[in-house]
Amino acid sequence: MTAPGARPLCLLLVAAAAIAVVLAVRGTDAAPNTRSAPSSSTLAATWTDEDGNGVLERGPGERMVARTDLAPRSAPERTLALLAQITDAHMRDEESPARPTVLDRLGGPFSSTFRPQEALTPQTLAQAAAAVRRLRPDAVLETGDLVDNAQENEMRTALSVLRGGRIDPDSGAPGYEGPQSSSNPDPLFYRPAVDAPRHPGLLALAERAFRSPGLAAPWYPVLGNHDALVAGEVPRTPALERLAVGSRAPVRLPEHSGELPRRGIGPRVVDAELKRTLAGRTRRVAPDPGRRLLSPGEAIRRLRAASGHGAGGERLDYGFDVGKHLRVLVLDLVDRRGGSDGVVTGSEVAWLRRALARAGQRYVMVVSHQPLQSSENGELALRVLDRDPRVVAVLAGHTHRNQIRARRRSGPGYWLINTSSLADYPQQTRAIRLVQTRGGVLLETWMVDTASGEAADTARNLAYLDAQGGRPQGFAGRRIDRNALLYR
Amino acid sequence: MRGPLGLRPLAGLRSARGATAALGVFAAALMVGTAATVGVSLSTGFDRAAERADLPDLVVRFHERTRGDVDRRIAALPNLEARSYRLEVNDVPIRARGQSRRRTAVEVVGRGRRGYAVVSGTDLRGPGEVLMERGLARAWEARVGDRVRVGRLGALRLAGIVVAPDDVAYPLISRPRVWISNTGLGLPPGDRAPVNSALVWVRDRSRLDATLVQARAVGFGLRDLRYATRNGLRVLVDRAAGIVIALLVAFSLVAAGAACLMLGASARADVESRLTEIGVMRASGFSRRGLASGFAVRAALAAAGPAGLGLCLGALIAHSPAGRLLDVLSELPPSPRTLAGLLLVPFTGMVGLVAITAGWPAWRAASRPPAELLRGGDLAPRPRRVPWSGTAAGLGVRIATARPVRWLATVTVLASALAVLILMLGLSSFLSGLQDDPGSLGRRYQLTASLPAERAPEVARIPGVEAAQARYEDEGFDSFELGEPVKLIAFRGDHTEFESAPLKSGRRIRGRAEAEVGLGLADALGLRVGSRLAVQLSAGREARFRVVGIVRAIDNDGRVAYVHPARLLLADPGIASTVAVRLAAGADRDAVERRLEELGARPRSAAGIAGGNGRFLGILAGLLRLVAGVNALVCFYALLQALGVVARERRSTLAVLRAGGASRRMLGVVLAGASAAAAVPALLVALAVERYLLGPLVARLAAGYASLPLRPGAAQLALVASVVGLLCAAAAALTARAIARRVVAADLRER
Repeated sequence: MTAPGARPLCLLLVAAAAIAVVLAVRGTDAAPNTRSAPSSSTLAATWTDEDGNGVLERGPGERMVARTDLAPRSAPERTLALLAQITDAHMRDEESPARPTVLDRLGGPFSSTFRPQEALTPQTLAQAAAAVRRLRPDAVLETGDLVDNAQENEMRTALSVLRGGRIDPDSGAPGYEGPQSSSNPDPLFYRPAVDAPRHPGLLALAERAFRSPGLAAPWYPVLGNHDALVAGEVPRTPALERLAVGSRAPVRLPEHSGELPRRGIGPRVVDAELKRTLAGRTRRVAPDPGRRLLSPGEAIRRLRAASGHGAGGERLDYGFDVGKHLRVLVLDLVDRRGGSDGVVTGSEVAWLRRALARAGQRYVMVVSHQPLQSSENGELALRVLDRDPRVVAVLAGHTHRNQIRARRRSGPGYWLINTSSLADYPQQTRAIRLVQTRGGVLLETWMVDTASGEAADTARNLAYLDAQGGRPQGFAGRRIDRNALLYR
Repeated sequence: MRGPLGLRPLAGLRSARGATAALGVFAAALMVGTAATVGVSLSTGFDRAAERADLPDLVVRFHERTRGDVDRRIAALPNLEARSYRLEVNDVPIRARGQSRRRTAVEVVGRGRRGYAVVSGTDLRGPGEVLMERGLARAWEARVGDRVRVGRLGALRLAGIVVAPDDVAYPLISRPRVWISNTGLGLPPGDRAPVNSALVWVRDRSRLDATLVQARAVGFGLRDLRYATRNGLRVLVDRAAGIVIALLVAFSLVAAGAACLMLGASARADVESRLTEIGVMRASGFSRRGLASGFAVRAALAAAGPAGLGLCLGALIAHSPAGRLLDVLSELPPSPRTLAGLLLVPFTGMVGLVAITAGWPAWRAASRPPAELLRGGDLAPRPRRVPWSGTAAGLGVRIATARPVRWLATVTVLASALAVLILMLGLSSFLSGLQDDPGSLGRRYQLTASLPAERAPEVARIPGVEAAQARYEDEGFDSFELGEPVKLIAFRGDHTEFESAPLKSGRRIRGRAEAEVGLGLADALGLRVGSRLAVQLSAGREARFRVVGIVRAIDNDGRVAYVHPARLLLADPGIASTVAVRLAAGADRDAVERRLEELGARPRSAAGIAGGNGRFLGILAGLLRLVAGVNALVCFYALLQALGVVARERRSTLAVLRAGGASRRMLGVVLAGASAAAAVPALLVALAVERYLLGPLVARLAAGYASLPLRPGAAQLALVASVVGLLCAAAAALTARAIARRVVAADLRER
């Protein structure tokens, strides 16, 4: 005999169980299995433009998609590590005369040098840090291009934001003095006080001092091309250094329509172009010695000092452990000769072999700024990784695009994970949780929006509107490139 | 006993008084019907055409590029719903129905949305077909199925006739358009196809401005880049009729107001003339409410027929000229159903107004004791001395002014109608000025000569030339919104010597970076003295100015800016100039033109706002004359009714005159005096009202950004006075004729 009312309850329980089984078998969408998702997590809610009118609104979250390219689904047993990835913040001194915004119109290699939301990069990075802080990760991977133009003041501000405390983003004379002033007649630039969507006072907000909560977690730097090269392309030259700390900013290109070489822009080309550009129209800016250009060595030293990580040597190649079960290997692929593409040197391949050998039984993640698969000699490095069954993922930034692909040449294979930038839409960071499963290992990954704040919210909306930015270029990627359960 | 008043409307109509009232309602309805049809057609024509044509929200024109290159930029825009591309080829010879034209624009269209409305026939279905704009098809009497020769493509079948509201139509534009498909032309396919304009539709029109800002950012490298938003297109299209349409719409409002005023006064007069009747009915036991509602219902039923008829006839009369006006503006008329629905509003309003204005005085009158009503039904006020009281006309004046309140009401109604009539004359003379007289635009020069700026001193030395100066002009769009067209005008030296729009605020320009902007532009962009004006010039570059003054300019709907040429030439050294020539008083214009030709220049008249669009202004003038004619009818009705009331009240006095041997002519003189007693002060009041109230009101409604000189000239005033005299005489003669038919003894007995 059953008690009255027990029968419907039993039926409900059976139905719930059946739904759960069906979901498990189908293996399409699933929720994370451990700690509840924090408020900035895109699992709970995220920014969408459902009606396609160019305005982001808070919409429903995106559930995780199970990907079984490398291994079948397996029941999770325990969390081994929780990582967060911040990449391509491009913290910039938007008032700097050394920024080649006028070259934007020539196309590559200096594309998207101007962004409508560029004055708000410190605030965006701060709100990204706030969102990551709520995750309470075991480690934060800062995968390069922390700054935009390899300037000392950019690096100082960016490191302060990550550390936390009072941030003064202004440079030069007090107040805003850049291409977005409403007095700038160049129609290329978005001027918040006069252009739609109008944000009067935005530039004042951008230059106002604010407090950053900081990461409050150990963070590990990766060198990006923009950290070490001017505009991410060019090694510093005496002429560029004079321009950076000087008082003349080019505002219009000389009358020529020639395109710049795509690669290998040497000092002679740079100086010649600079001379031509400065012969055109310029505007006066207040000089600021803080804008001096950093050499790659100086950039590495600043990153090491601030993070407390990064070993020694001229390149930022190093490894570190996250808990007992994960070893992370960091590669510095920046080509010191110039250009934005990554280069894997022979010594780095050898270092990688040695580092893998020393990793023991720990799982391994390899992290670089430029994706190995698109870097010069990157395939050599990948082949080394192919042979090691403990390698579970290779993480990168640089492309500003979310993309997750499986690589399986020999052995169990691993995941190639690329993460979008904070500079362009969708302005998100990535969370990665390494989970031991019954049959292997699982990477739970999901995107994290920047925490809400006036400046960061405006920056996100402007980034979405940007016709040269992440929206039209599909930087957010497909759904399976964002929130996914990656079985291996 | 008589039945309730409200059940006998037709009986009321059958009487002379009822017929006069019906005529009044009819005349007012005719005016309202005409005004409403014109106003509604013109004020909503663009939106209707844009909706039906699926007009794009943004049209981008540029120098020819490959479709792929342009699409890469357009596809990146936010808020994008759809896009399509065209190649416009100019000056392709077109021939059809024995007529030909070389100055044309052939639009080569591909797949995707079109942005035009096919009003006859079908859309393009492939090669071998052509579409023609309605203006050209009307002019050439082309029909669907005709063969149209298009350049080297040979004879194509005319598949359809279209309206494209992104521009005005032939003959308002010099390049009429035809559309052909891009298939079968041998053009490179797909992304390699050449295009020179992009049509863009957005999801949220209210956020188009943000899309525009991004379009500007990705537009670098496209030559001769021009943007036109849907709103901008509306401004451009409306600009062709511009101020004139605004004047007509404003006039419609004023006319409707005047009609309401007249109806009210007429109904009140009717009740006052029947006070005795009301007194008798009250004495017979009719309730106050029953009496008032009876008056109201009877008046409403009596007014319904003439009001409906007048409205319909007014709509019919105005439909044709308004339709022709819409044709040349590439706009569509409202459907008969829409128009009928719209006319229901004034119909209800008029009938309601008549009911209220008839019921309310009756309600008030019925509140007085019956004895007082009966006693005061025909009380004559104390006789007063009036000039020429010994003459027949003087007697007319005396009996007309014996009831001061009624006399004032008559003067008010007449004055309203006459003020509108004078306004119409002012409008027509203003329109003529717009067509022919550059002075109406504030231009103080009569000729322009196509000569380089440096040769201005040479022109100034020509005998008969008072002054000559280089004049620069460029059309651009404001940089910040990219929707508002701006005309930049610059003179070397003091521009007020050649163009002097009145200064509303601020001061005239002195420095190179300063600008005086038209009030129309200031309103559109929210500019004020001290603001910054940024204009994207026709060559794509930007020029910036500080606003130091705001002027009431008429030209270009007030979307003009007077600037210094140095700043303009710095931004675009290629801006063309002409030499503006101001003639001395009494100078021989032909001789000056001959000397200019000897210098190698092509002298041109400094045309008015409509340039050479004489036919267009002709249509507008016809429309104005039509409305004026209707208004003259209203004046006549008002006079006739006033005399009718006087004749009714003074029937015994007039009977005594007739019994004493007064002829019909003598009666006519008496009544002419009575009508003059109302018409003369009404004319004076009308002049004052037009000058100080109506004219400024219409001018402000039509073009708040300008100072419109809507004052009629002396000749026109003389014409108005003559018309009023004639109307007085006609009304007196008709009324005298009606009185002469009555039996004298009967009128004497009523006393």
